[in-house]
Amino acid sequence: MWFFILAELLVFGVFFLAYAFARMRNVELFNASQLELDRLSGAINTVLLISSSYFVVRAVDHIRHGRSRACAHWLLAAMTLGGAFLVVKMAEFIAKTEAGISMSTNTFYMFYLGLGFFHFMHVVLGMVILGAVTLKAWKGGYSATDHVGVETGAAYWHMVDLVWIILFPLIYVLH
Amino acid sequence: MTNTATFQWLILLAMTAVAVGLSQATLPDNALLVPVLLTTLVKGRIVIDRFMALQGVIAPWRWVVLGWLALVVGLIGYTFHTTQI
Repeated sequence: MWFFILAELLVFGVFFLAYAFARMRNVELFNASQLELDRLSGAINTVLLISSSYFVVRAVDHIRHGRSRACAHWLLAAMTLGGAFLVVKMAEFIAKTEAGISMSTNTFYMFYLGLGFFHFMHVVLGMVILGAVTLKAWKGGYSATDHVGVETGAAYWHMVDLVWIILFPLIYVLH
Repeated sequence: MTNTATFQWLILLAMTAVAVGLSQATLPDNALLVPVLLTTLVKGRIVIDRFMALQGVIAPWRWVVLGWLALVVGLIGYTFHTTQI
């Protein structure tokens, strides 16, 4: 799993740097387009993902003590916040689409929509993984001594959070 | 463990609030860059070391992920700083 996570981080890193270097050539365009973003949505999504990651930490702590049901409850809470993230992000995408904005509008929006959708799909995958782990935890499939699956799913979810922690200031805040 | 994680979660939320607050203030671009990138680095390190629990893990995993964070944030800082000169 760690090789997979590192590969994902590498890909996101390349995209972030592509954005940063593309911005160097179009500073005015990037700054003007960034002002049209809903920064509040980005901030809310940051709170949702960070809190979701914390809930996963709590889930891992519970399973390390053999509390399978409590682990499943925290994972469920984490998935709920992940779902809320997707709803907020979707609303943001819909608002942009209704405003006639697409990836071909300009270079900034190509990155904003492209990176946003790429990350969105990782959140979806993360939720699928957490869902499978939650189901197994609910059925008592993990124990204090055997819970690699929970830790692996948690590592992936934290990676999704880590990527957003950079993506948010890069696209929404810095200018 | 639980109290520590809760404290770190609150730090992450506070740092997010600081970054958003700074972005709303009428600061010159270069006054925004360093504090926002520093909060990003600290938040990233908390997630890597504490949430991912890589602190204390035998090399190279921790250093690879921390190196990725430092390199990406550093280069972002370089490109933004260059365009502010």
